[in-house]
Amino acid sequence: MALAPKKNKLSLWQRIRQNSLAYKFIAPTIVAMLVVHLIPIVQGLYLSLLDVRLTTLTLYLKAPFVGLKYYIEVFNAIFGIGEDGTSSRVTGLINAASNTLVYTIWTNIGTLGVGLILAMLLNRNFRWRGIARTLVLLPWVVPTFVTGTIFNFIWLEQGGLANRILLGLNIVDTPITWLIGPNSLYALVIATVWRGLPFTTIMFLAAIQVIPTDLYEAASLDGANGWQRFRHITLPLIKPIAATQVLFGLINGFYGGYNIAVQMFGGGTGFAGEYADLLVPAITRQTWERHLYGFGSAASVILMGMLLIFVGIWYRTFRDSLRAE
Amino acid sequence: MGVSLSKKAESARPARATINYKAWLFDRGGDILLLILIAFMLLPILFLILGSFKSRDEFAAASSFFPSEWKFSNYSEMWTRVKFGTYFSNSLIICGITTLVVTILASMSGYALARFRFPGSGGFSMAILGTQLVPGTLFLIPLYMTFLWLKNNLGIPLIGTNFGAIVLYVGFFLPISLWIQRSFFATIPIDLEEQAMVDGATRFQAFLYIIMPLAGPGVISTAIFVFLTAWDELLFAWILNVQTIPVGIRQFTGVAGSQNRYELLSAASVVIILPVAAMFFLLQKRFIAGLTAGAVK
Repeated sequence: MALAPKKNKLSLWQRIRQNSLAYKFIAPTIVAMLVVHLIPIVQGLYLSLLDVRLTTLTLYLKAPFVGLKYYIEVFNAIFGIGEDGTSSRVTGLINAASNTLVYTIWTNIGTLGVGLILAMLLNRNFRWRGIARTLVLLPWVVPTFVTGTIFNFIWLEQGGLANRILLGLNIVDTPITWLIGPNSLYALVIATVWRGLPFTTIMFLAAIQVIPTDLYEAASLDGANGWQRFRHITLPLIKPIAATQVLFGLINGFYGGYNIAVQMFGGGTGFAGEYADLLVPAITRQTWERHLYGFGSAASVILMGMLLIFVGIWYRTFRDSLRAE
Repeated sequence: MGVSLSKKAESARPARATINYKAWLFDRGGDILLLILIAFMLLPILFLILGSFKSRDEFAAASSFFPSEWKFSNYSEMWTRVKFGTYFSNSLIICGITTLVVTILASMSGYALARFRFPGSGGFSMAILGTQLVPGTLFLIPLYMTFLWLKNNLGIPLIGTNFGAIVLYVGFFLPISLWIQRSFFATIPIDLEEQAMVDGATRFQAFLYIIMPLAGPGVISTAIFVFLTAWDELLFAWILNVQTIPVGIRQFTGVAGSQNRYELLSAASVVIILPVAAMFFLLQKRFIAGLTAGAVK
């Protein structure tokens, strides 16, 4: 391996010179990341400690320093202490936080569960398999804001596709109210799962296809039934792919849902109602409509903290299969 | 390696010595379940397309599944009712240029990460993955303020312009695209470059003439991924006041126009899906091969 780096024998400067092409290749990326990601992120973290609102926005980073005031406000409200616990901006946020958790869990269960079932169904031998695989991919080309539009029509109480089917099959007697009240969060979950299924399915299908067939044959000869073959061959071998999908699912669950929600719940005001409001739409509203820029930044950091806790759990759960990859 | 969509691939099921009645029943159950799931995936899209041909009153009444009278004029009226042509061309320009720039830069950086272990490569990788864990709402305000500052002090028109959106999206989608590209380059054997370099090529020539042609599926999957994601971006475009489709499409129903032209919104939605769908289905096999190659080694 002539191209493999020789470690430790060379000085740092020699190693840098030896890899000069690599630095030239990543230089534009570093500039782009500095401008669009790193500098704004550092500013955003600092902003969460400042009292930036409509009147102080022009001061920007020179706005009054309030330290952890906004963080404390949110945490106090979560644990039910302090005077600020009842302020509307905080209660709205806490509502959105619990919705976000439920939304993330259900979109993950739905996308991974149904995606795996679909992948296994599509892996069988049958006529029309090629067409079936293409059809299943279709929702992928539908942008999420269009997905929101489509499901806005589908969930209509009178004449919407969902109620029409449910009434037609006599599953329900009266039309279900989807877009207002407790059902609205699940209406959002189903729309998200619909859009997310093709990607997960295709990844699972790819993983299942590379499993050697003789593994299944050997297991059959040893008397393993279908479930045992699935449990002891398929599942362990698709675990690395499942790990990536869960990570994507967590990030999408916590940070996504905005486009679908904005279009699905009434004409672009962006408010989904207390039952289906997620954190990103809620924070966006606090920040840009109520001009609470410092508060919005603090809330964003708390949102990031929530995600990082889940990523930590994710890492502990899948650590072994990540190494195996 | 990749997922074959049409070719008759080998079945993952074990060969059955005797025809098992229970297995047959299980299989038919699977067929029915598959049909239901395909219906679930297709019906929403079909519903949208049918709705786009309804008249305004019929759409509002939501009385039937099929339009009683096919109103093809929706597809011409949607361009005049709002400035849809402007939004459409803005989106095409922004997403096209973004895709081109990101794909080139991601190829270079992805190659550097896949082939070199340079001082700082670990930190660089961490920074790339780290950017994906930060919510957009945290750096949206600073980004807006930075763009505003650049506009006021240096006269670079970054707010409300296509140029600003391109700068934003290039930075935005570069890290994840680079990561897709990196995993794809990692699947290409290093011997090919070594051979070329033994024959007298420079490292850069080996990259450009040997590796890039082999990386076709990876490049295509990155390009489609970037285009799809940029085509779909709403929040940042809205805040930066860029007139792209996701921002402009609200005009059909928005409070400002109070038009409630849902049948035009449906027609516009169909038109929005078309370019992406065309690109996707033309390049489908390579796209999927590229996406899954990095994940399934």
